[in-house]
Amino acid sequence: MDFRPVTTEERKKLVDALRGNAEESLAILMDRRDTSFVGAGEEITDDEVISAIQSVPVHY
Amino acid sequence: MFDWIANLWAWLRCAPGGTPQPPGVEPALARPIERVLLSEGVAQTLFSDFSDHRQTERGDEEIGWILLGYWMDGQPIAVAALPAGAARDAGAAHVQFDSEAQSLACRILRQCDKRLQVIGVVHTHPGSLRRPSDGDLRGDILWVRHLRAGIGVFAIGTADARSGESAAHHQQLACPLLFSWYALGVGDREYRTLPVTKTPGADLATSLRPVWTTIEAFADPINRLCRQLARVQFDVLAEDLEATLVVRIPLAEPNQELRLLLNLDQARYYWDNAGELVAIDPDEPQLDRAVYLILAELCPSLSEAPSSTQESH
Repeated sequence: MDFRPVTTEERKKLVDALRGNAEESLAILMDRRDTSFVGAGEEITDDEVISAIQSVPVHY
Repeated sequence: MFDWIANLWAWLRCAPGGTPQPPGVEPALARPIERVLLSEGVAQTLFSDFSDHRQTERGDEEIGWILLGYWMDGQPIAVAALPAGAARDAGAAHVQFDSEAQSLACRILRQCDKRLQVIGVVHTHPGSLRRPSDGDLRGDILWVRHLRAGIGVFAIGTADARSGESAAHHQQLACPLLFSWYALGVGDREYRTLPVTKTPGADLATSLRPVWTTIEAFADPINRLCRQLARVQFDVLAEDLEATLVVRIPLAEPNQELRLLLNLDQARYYWDNAGELVAIDPDEPQLDRAVYLILAELCPSLSEAPSSTQESH
């Protein structure tokens, strides 16, 4: 049995997946063999897309 | 119980270069994109907006668009072009988009399809520089890290095409207007030219053009509402002369919602109580504050709670 604290990046991905599921009904993908977490659905959360828009730099 | 954490860790470690890649996202640099597909509507928007812009008082300034679309089979498809907005900060040598308005527009379009994502940025150069500038490169190198695909599509519009000139594989030409297309991925040090092809389809953002001024006027408070309230929905009513942006906020009780009708800089508030519309004057000019004041008024107080609930305590 392996106990290991999740990294910041892992935690962010997991929280994003859970939030996306709770707020926007995005799919949380699981492995059909053992029901383990394999990531979020291909749909993208509003937060991720809005972040990209808000980050567009000045163009010259 | 902890298997999923192990799998998550393995998934992260398998990502190229140690960079975490969400599932379903192909590592962009491992599979170079071959071309960008533009819906005919998007291509039309770019040329017509650029042409119209050059006739305005701000015609000497740079202008631009954000492209929304999909990645399919490792190739980008642009299906919506969000304009820079009247509130853009621009001059002859730079353009900064009105990102609040574009964010709201993106929320509206994504109601129907949560796969829509940012795939790139198009902007113009007043002169004849048909490739992104060094300043563009410095900003875009950092920005592509925000993109799900890890690669961005970029185009430069110029108005320097000569009569009889033919377009290269990475260019679109409608003399004198010319768009030159490029790609830049995470880790790239230079843009590479990107062949461009049109495909049948509309510009999804066209439906928002009749209410774009309204979107710009209310983007900030509505974006704040969307960050705080789940299930905010939008409609665009464009049948009459005055197009209206409708914001619907479901209430806790069934068949009830708060409905905001926004037109230019005017906001009207209605309570839809199971089909019965009640007009509300919140006496508050700031839209998001008005919404919360109304929600507080509509929230039943404890003294109005059903007697059975009180008895249970």
